[in-house]
Amino acid sequence: MSKMCEQRDDRRPLRAGGYALGGAAAMGLVLLLGGCISVKAPDKPIEINLNVKVQQEVVVRLQKDAQDLIQNNPELFPQ
Amino acid sequence: MTRKSTLLFAALGLAVVGVAGAFLSASPAQAQSGAVTAAMGAGTVGEQADGYLGINGSVSADVRAEVESINIKRRAAYTDLAAKRGVTVADMAAATGCQTLANRVRQGQVYRIGAGAWQTKGSAPIALPGYCANAN
Repeated sequence: MSKMCEQRDDRRPLRAGGYALGGAAAMGLVLLLGGCISVKAPDKPIEINLNVKVQQEVVVRLQKDAQDLIQNNPELFPQ
Repeated sequence: MTRKSTLLFAALGLAVVGVAGAFLSASPAQAQSGAVTAAMGAGTVGEQADGYLGINGSVSADVRAEVESINIKRRAAYTDLAAKRGVTVADMAAATGCQTLANRVRQGQVYRIGAGAWQTKGSAPIALPGYCANAN
C-alpha cells in the first residue's frame, strides 16, 4: 500500500497538452491518494481526557461526607 | 443587714453576672449568623455550587465579615475532609455545594452555579451541575 502511494508521489508531471487526460489522471490520483491511509507515529503522547468522569465519581463518593459536615456544623451552613 | 441577707445578695449578684456574661458571650455569634440568615432571606447572600457563600450585590460590613468568616471555617473543614479522603479541597467543596444546592437553599433564596448569574430558587428543585449526580 505504502509502496503504491510512493509511486504516485514520484510520478513525473503530465504533459501540458493533455488537459483532459491530465484531469482524469488527477482525479484518479486524488481517488488513489484518498484511498491511501498513512499511519504515522504521533509525536506527542496520546492523551485521553477522563477528568470529567473522574471528577463526577469523586464528587458522588463525597456526598455522604458533605451531608455529615452540614449536619454537624449548622453554624457554618445558615439557612 | 444580716449576714444571711448579705450572702443572699452576693449569690444573687453572682447569678446576675453569670447570666449577663453568658448572654453577652452568646449574643454576638447569634446576631451575626442571624444577619447572614436575614441576608439570605433578602437574596443578598446565597449558596454557591463551589461550596461557599457568596454575596449578591451590596451588603453591610457586618454581613460581609460574617460571610467571610463562615467561608474561612468552611474551607478549613473542607481541607480536613479532603485530606482524609485523598481528594482536592475544591472537590470536597464542590460536593458540599451539591448538597447545599439540593437540600439547603429554600424557595425564594438565591444561589449561583459557577460564574453564572445569581438565580432565585423557585418551587422546582435546582438544576444541579452534572457532577452532582445522586446529590440527594
